[in-house]
Formats: sequence, structure tokens, C-alpha cells
Amino acid sequence: MGGLRRYAPPLVWLLALLLTALYLPRLEPFFTWLEPDRQTVIYPRQSFLALLIEHALIVAVAGTIAIALGVGAAVGVTRRAGEEFLPLVSQLASIGQTFPPVAVLALAVPALGYGAEAVIVALVLYGLLPIVRNSLAGLQAVDRGVLESARGIGLSPWQTLVWVELPIAAPAIMGGIRTSVTINIATAAIGSTIGANTLGNPIISGIVNGNIAFTLQGAVLIGLLAITVDSAFSRIA
Amino acid sequence: MIELDNVSKSFGSEKAVDGISLDVPAGSLCVLVGTSGCGKSTTLRMINRLIEHSDGMIRIDGHPIRDFNEVTLRRRIGYAIQNTGLFPHWSVARNIGVVPRLLKWDKAQIRERVESLMALLGLAVEEFADKYPHQLSGGQAQRVGVARALAADPDILLMDEPFGALDPITRSGLQAELLRIQSRIRKTIVFVTHDMDEALRLADQIVVMQGGRIIQQGTPTQILAHPADGFVETLVGGRDRGLKRASLTAVGDMMEPIEQADDPPAISVARTDSMRLAVSLMLWHGVSRLSVRDDNGDTVGILPLRRLVDDVG
Repeated sequence: MGGLRRYAPPLVWLLALLLTALYLPRLEPFFTWLEPDRQTVIYPRQSFLALLIEHALIVAVAGTIAIALGVGAAVGVTRRAGEEFLPLVSQLASIGQTFPPVAVLALAVPALGYGAEAVIVALVLYGLLPIVRNSLAGLQAVDRGVLESARGIGLSPWQTLVWVELPIAAPAIMGGIRTSVTINIATAAIGSTIGANTLGNPIISGIVNGNIAFTLQGAVLIGLLAITVDSAFSRIA
Repeated sequence: MIELDNVSKSFGSEKAVDGISLDVPAGSLCVLVGTSGCGKSTTLRMINRLIEHSDGMIRIDGHPIRDFNEVTLRRRIGYAIQNTGLFPHWSVARNIGVVPRLLKWDKAQIRERVESLMALLGLAVEEFADKYPHQLSGGQAQRVGVARALAADPDILLMDEPFGALDPITRSGLQAELLRIQSRIRKTIVFVTHDMDEALRLADQIVVMQGGRIIQQGTPTQILAHPADGFVETLVGGRDRGLKRASLTAVGDMMEPIEQADDPPAISVARTDSMRLAVSLMLWHGVSRLSVRDDNGDTVGILPLRRLVDDVG
């Protein structure tokens, strides 16, 4: 029961998210009141559930790649063999953070064409940075005495990493992953402009057609998705 | 037994350790003492290959240490350092059991070993086994550090200023504890400190280092009686060293037999107490004679003031 109570908030948010995705069209009277002059007030082209699933999938794939690359890079440059690259990687991580996501998308399209692949590449690049930065900070903060004694009592380098460094750095690393994924849930919406199907579709369509109802529907679902995921992270991290 | 034969270590052009030779016989406690940067820690860390020596030969039980895989070598050598290096995310019991776990002992065996070590170090199992390092006092954490170093029952123990960060009372308690444990388990111990009093108290053999070289080695009494040069004399306390030597001599070795007619003095010391304590009691109480008692509290001898100035040592 303790476990259930612990995970209750993210589960409640998840339930709210799914119910909203399924039953948003039932709120048609509300949206008609909002946009009285329109015939269509519920985004018609795809179901919200389909958009939600594709949106979440794009973020999940990008997140998994970003975690593997980001944590991997941070671990690599904190090993003796990789320490030459430490200044380079930590500078790239800070500079990259100043790039607006739209610019990253604009650069990804010529390379990969329109569609989900380009969005995933852009999200990986953008999501990498908080993960690298936090993982580096976490790994570098591990006490020297702890590392020295780990070596001294006979842990192999791999055991030192897996038993000692990663667990001690885990809260910092999880913090970076949380920031990265949450940002990318929002950023993925921009993917609609380059042909990926995300919850950005109703938002963009609403902006283009001047239909606040569409925009509101996309925004509410993205907000709920972000809150659900963030709430889940706050329970594990 | 550990042998260092003309061992040097260079960092770039700088020689941190310069041609030192040293034998530590099995079961003895050797203290490397000197000021910061004298090479004592480097010397210690060369023995378990945390630092590789540049020249010369280091042997353990006759085998050159480079014949061993470095990780295997370290698992056979206990290692305790100043700030304990305990893993902050592991409980006390798990910290102590880490080397047996590396050596793939079975779980019951590890638990048994951890509990017996906690008993040896005076840590109550029910109270401490599940605590985390940040919940311990400095002295308790250091006990756990020593227990961890002893966990796989290594023949050799390397200790790098293990009591350096503790307050004087805790440090003195742990020194006494180390001597008590050593009298039971007889490990070959190399102990690094900058504190000459600690060295004098613990060592079978003291090695004084300066500038990467050994200035003098010998028993505590030898070092006190015949410091090799002005530097060693300063380390052993200059004109204060009479008291240091007194602290190494037990009252029991200096007392006179009690005579039946004698009325034993009211102030008493234990026969295992140091002469330094005896002098202090005489100064404090303004008396020139003390009774000496054994463990049962029976008076077994008399210590008169003149014994202090007869042939001490």
C-alpha cells in the first residue's frame, strides 16, 4: 500500500491525461461557446489519443537516446582516458543550452527532411545538454576520499563506476533527465511545423486558422503530459 | 612481510621518494612519520600500487608486487584513510562487507564476519549495522573504516593518517584500541602519521622521513634516545622528550617491591600506566611516593620519586 500511495499523484495525473484525451470532444458545447462563429470547434484531423501516443513516443525515443549519449559522455570524460575532452564537452553543454529549439529544428530539416526523424534529432540535441551538465556535476562531486578508498580496497574501475559513482551521482543525473524530458515534451510540439504528428498539430492549426479552441485543446494535453511525467520523476528521483 | 629495496618515485623531474629501503617484519607495526610532503603517503600508496614506483623493488612475502594483478593485490591488503572513504550510500554493515563481497564469499559468511568485526571494534550490531555514514560520529566512522580494512582478514594493513581528523580524546581512544586489536590479530601494519606522539605510542618500528628520504629508523626508544639529527630531535619534542620517553615506560617496570613495614602511599597508579602519568600525579598531589596497584586493585609496589632520575630506560 505504501508503494501505491507513493505513486498515487503521477497515477492520478495519468488518469486525468487519458480521460482528457479520450473525452475532450464531449466538451464541444464549451468550445462552441469559446468560438461561436465556427462550425468545427474540435480538432478533426486525428484523434487526440493518437496524437498523444505519437507525441509521447517521439519524446521517449529522443529521451532514451539523449540519456544514453549524455550520461555516456559524462562518464567518458570523467575517466582518466577521456579527461582531455572534459573541457570541450562541458563547454559544448553550456553553449548548446543557449540555442533556441526552433533553430535546432530549422537546422535538422535540411539534413533529415520532414518528419519524426528530424524532430527526434532536434530533441536529442536539445535534451542532451541538461543531462550532460547534471551528470558531469554529479560525477565530479563524488568525494575524492571515497574514490581513493574504492580503488584502495580493490574495486575495479567498472565496479567503482557502477557501485559507487553512479549511485552517488544518481540524484543529480535524474534531475538532469527530468529537466530534459520535461522541456522536450513542450519542445516536441514545434515538431508539427516540420511534419511530425504531435500534440502541436492542433496548436499550430489553431494559430494558422485563428481558432483558439484547437490551440487550447493541444495546449491542455501537452500541459497534462508534462505534469504527469514530471510528477512521475519527482517520485523516482 | 613487506620489503622495500631502494625504491624511488618521480613525478616528472621531481623525486617524491628517493631511494628508500625498508623491511617491515610480519606482525609488526611500522609507522612512517614526517612533515607534509615528505613522501610518507606516497611510500604507503606504492605498497598497494595506488601509485606505481618508478625504481627499485617492493616485495610482499618475497614476491615482487608487480607480479600480482593490482586489483587482486589490493583485495589482499587492508586500506584505511583519514576521511574514512566510506561509501555514503551504503549502510555500515554493507560498507564493512564490501571486500568479502568482492571476493565472492557467501552471504551468511559475510554477515558473520561483519558482525564479529563490529564486535571487535566496539560497534553494537543492533545499533550501527543499518546506519549510514553521515549518521556516525568521526570516531565511529573511523572504526567502521578500520573494520572494513580488516574485513577479508588481510595479512597486511595500510593506514594513511587514519586518526588525523579526530579530536585528541577520540584519537587517543582509537590508538589504544588499535594496540589492543593488534595484540590479538598481529597484522603487518604500515601506518602513516605526522604526529610523533602517535608514532611513539603505536610503533614497533619508526621510520622518520624528510624530503623523500629516510632520515632515521628504529624503535621508539632508540629514536628518543639517539635522534639522528636536529630535525628528528625537533620532531621528538626537543627538551620535552624526557616526558615522551616517560610516556613509553610502564610504571610496572620501574617500581620497587613493597616492604611489609611500609605504609603504602594514598595516591596510586596502575602498573600498566605510563611513567608520564606517575610524574603528573606526583606533581599534582605534591607527593614523592606512589603506590602501584595491579588489575585487582592490590598494592604490588612503590614508586618513589628518585626512581625517575636513576637510570630511566
